[in-house]
Amino acid sequence: MINDPYNVILLVAVVWPLLLALPSLHSRISWPCHLALIPALALAVYPSIVSLPLPKLFLGTRLAVNGEVRWILVMCVAIWFVVATVIHSTPNDSTYHFQTSYFLLALTGNLGAILATELIGFFCFSTLMSYSFYGLLIYGSDKKIKSSGRLYIIFLVLADVLLLEALLLAASTTNNLDYPSVRQIMAEAIYSQFYFWLVIIGFSLKAGIWPVHQWLLGSFKSGHQSAVLLLGGVPVAIGLLGALRWLPIGEHSFYATGMVVVVTGVAAIFYALWKLITYTSLKMLPAWVTVAATGVFIVVLGIGSMHPAIWRRNEYLMHPFIATLGIFLVALILSLNRWQGTHQEPDFDLQRVNVFFLWAEKGFHLAQQWTRERFFILQSYWNVDEKYQDIMDWAKPTVFIGKWSTSITFFVFLGLVLAWLAA
Amino acid sequence: MNWNAWIPLLVVASSMLPGLIIFNLAEHRIRLRTALNLIGALVKLLLVGWMLWGVYNEHIFETRLALLPNLDIVLRAGPWSLFFVTLSTVLWLITTIYAIGYLEGSPHRSRFFGFFSVCVSATVGVALSGNLITFLLFYELLTLSTYPLVVHRGTEVARRAGQVYLNYTIFGGALLLLGTVWLYTLAGTLEFTPQGFLQTLDEAHHPALIAIFVLLVSGLGVKAALVPFHGWLPQAMVAPAPVSALLHAVAVVKAGVFGIVRVVYDIYGVDFASDLGVTDPLAWLAAITIIYGSLRALYQDDLKRMLAFSTVSQASYITLGVAIASPIATIGGAVHLLHQGLMKITLFFCAGNLAETLGIHMVSEMNGVGRRMPWTMAAFTIGAFGMIGVPPIAGFVSKWYLGLGALEIGKEWVVIVLAGSSLLNAAYFLPILHRVWFQEPTHPWPEERSFGNQETAWALLIPPILTALMALGAGVFATGSFSPLVWAQLIAQREFHQP
Repeated sequence: MINDPYNVILLVAVVWPLLLALPSLHSRISWPCHLALIPALALAVYPSIVSLPLPKLFLGTRLAVNGEVRWILVMCVAIWFVVATVIHSTPNDSTYHFQTSYFLLALTGNLGAILATELIGFFCFSTLMSYSFYGLLIYGSDKKIKSSGRLYIIFLVLADVLLLEALLLAASTTNNLDYPSVRQIMAEAIYSQFYFWLVIIGFSLKAGIWPVHQWLLGSFKSGHQSAVLLLGGVPVAIGLLGALRWLPIGEHSFYATGMVVVVTGVAAIFYALWKLITYTSLKMLPAWVTVAATGVFIVVLGIGSMHPAIWRRNEYLMHPFIATLGIFLVALILSLNRWQGTHQEPDFDLQRVNVFFLWAEKGFHLAQQWTRERFFILQSYWNVDEKYQDIMDWAKPTVFIGKWSTSITFFVFLGLVLAWLAA
Repeated sequence: MNWNAWIPLLVVASSMLPGLIIFNLAEHRIRLRTALNLIGALVKLLLVGWMLWGVYNEHIFETRLALLPNLDIVLRAGPWSLFFVTLSTVLWLITTIYAIGYLEGSPHRSRFFGFFSVCVSATVGVALSGNLITFLLFYELLTLSTYPLVVHRGTEVARRAGQVYLNYTIFGGALLLLGTVWLYTLAGTLEFTPQGFLQTLDEAHHPALIAIFVLLVSGLGVKAALVPFHGWLPQAMVAPAPVSALLHAVAVVKAGVFGIVRVVYDIYGVDFASDLGVTDPLAWLAAITIIYGSLRALYQDDLKRMLAFSTVSQASYITLGVAIASPIATIGGAVHLLHQGLMKITLFFCAGNLAETLGIHMVSEMNGVGRRMPWTMAAFTIGAFGMIGVPPIAGFVSKWYLGLGALEIGKEWVVIVLAGSSLLNAAYFLPILHRVWFQEPTHPWPEERSFGNQETAWALLIPPILTALMALGAGVFATGSFSPLVWAQLIAQREFHQP
């Protein structure tokens, strides 16, 4: 029931950019991307809680804004405003109308996912956002980003399949798919461990969390400028938000699971820090900062899984964390772009790499080689990977760890853990 | 006999009579032919609308004509049959508009539209059948009326495809006839009954009942394109695009699947079929077909052939929903009957537009075609995403209920099959979408025809846009008052006494 006229703005915030996405409409309007943000901005500054049930939409959904959501909404409006300005500054670009359509579709999905208060709505909107973002990511770009885009779409499809399975598990356990209800019910369900892993792996793939972060690196490296600015605030933020909303944390202790998550998160932080120290390309700085920050997020989720009481005391910090991360990344990228415009980026210096790291990598490579000889799945993958030769090239040991093979090894390991837990 | 008793017969006649008149029209009588086609389709739509309202309010629509002692021709409207009839009627109207545009200027249009109308009459007859003998009669009429449509172009390839189609379907029809006769000798009736009519038979007849089930499902499985009876479907894609659309989305494949639904629910009864142990093998066969069809689609360059293998896969979702034998899966299977029709007809219309406008037949020729034909390819994109099961398009709703139904009765493997099928669907549809929207166009197009400022003729453009919007609407407003999902829930409630 619409008991407050202001609640209608919730619907307008989502429908308005969707309408504007039609090329025949936005091509007739000045500043369409900025205009699309107005209802969302109105919601972000409105001081009280607004909520709108939509029982006829997406098998029944509800949109709402409360204090926590407002953090993310503010970040979302700020980031999309910056990107809208970037897109608007290049209207002569031949890709302008396509970019605008993808921008507005992704914005619709982004806003809907933020405002949705239950799992199906979140899933529907985040899917719209993710596929539209693909268009924004690779449109008119070179082969490198298309290759990275391909990786993004593969990860996205895998993530959607895993999350659909999780969604089905939740729906078969409870009729009420509101976040608090799902958290409570799924914490006690028979499938709780399995559900937990489906969700964490699904959203890790979507958000580019280590060790499944490869699409994120490629996107930062050669993505379209507008897409790079959106990376932190859109796919990454929504991935983290999804994990936060879907995971049954804070009800019961998942000690062993939490421990694995913490270890993964710590590894992600160290890995990212190591790359930050040894990899000097400034363009990749935001990428590694993102990997480190999402690692921190994962560590907190893991601790929360192990100790529900600690989680309940500190949970309120998570939304501001995501919002701050998104805005910080945009600020960082803009600053770096500005700095790079006036300074020459130094070349990568192999001599700066610590000898210890070289030996560590060599050891890791030998371990991988041993694994490769014993597991045909990895063997077959490596055989088709043309970049495999790079791994054998010891003259460039530091590029080795960043290769996809490392990620797939860890991914398969996580898959094995998941299968073990399911069994 | 009251007025309502004539309605099912009128629904069949509303396309049969125009069809018979159209056969005798000269080629140049374009306006009269078009008027007869459209009037027939609109009258059918009105009658079906009336029956929908009536059945929802528990009115009875039944036509019964004596054929032999104890054996009548029965046409009856129930929730299940009306679901299928509505699909056929709505999509027939849209396909007729499309076919008028598609065949403009080509020869033998009277023959084409004549058989086209008879084909739809047969489909509606199959849907409204109140017993197995009526079903069988219309089922065979469907075979005979679609053969001339498959070979319409008259080329050697078309004739060969028609021959394959005829061989398969006549073989299937023979199996079905054998099963029907055997069943009649055993049970003494062929009347479709909610919860079935075979439970009361002695246990000594169970082996015979299993054998009859195998005969019936094998016979129906040919049209339903269940593996290994699917070989005719990819061959039949040489037919004109409206015929392919009709075969895949409205008539032939659906008639086969609908027959399986009738056998499981209205002859055996889902519980009895489950007790006999025939539903599990059927579910496995459907699962194998789902994966096999998707795998074969993955390696096709011919767009229509790829879509044909996709149909092999997708049609079996309905069979799977039936064979899972769970109330919620029944909703999933039932609603997919309509959803798959909407999505697949969209894809075939788009494939037809590409062929007619630019001469594109192969996936490898589709680079950048989204810029040349944005509306057609936007419709194609919606259809493709729906097939993958991307929310909120209709295909997602079907998969959702199938998955929930499987979990409801502890058949988790079905969820894995659904996930695998989604991945495979993504693997063959997403690369096409990437080509269409993000790759540079290949110039010149194989055979480009000019339509002025439009991307193609209106008659070709409007149908796919309409069906794509319907597929999208069926998903977004799935819980709306007039959605297919609500009707599928009514089917579960009324015909199978499920909550």
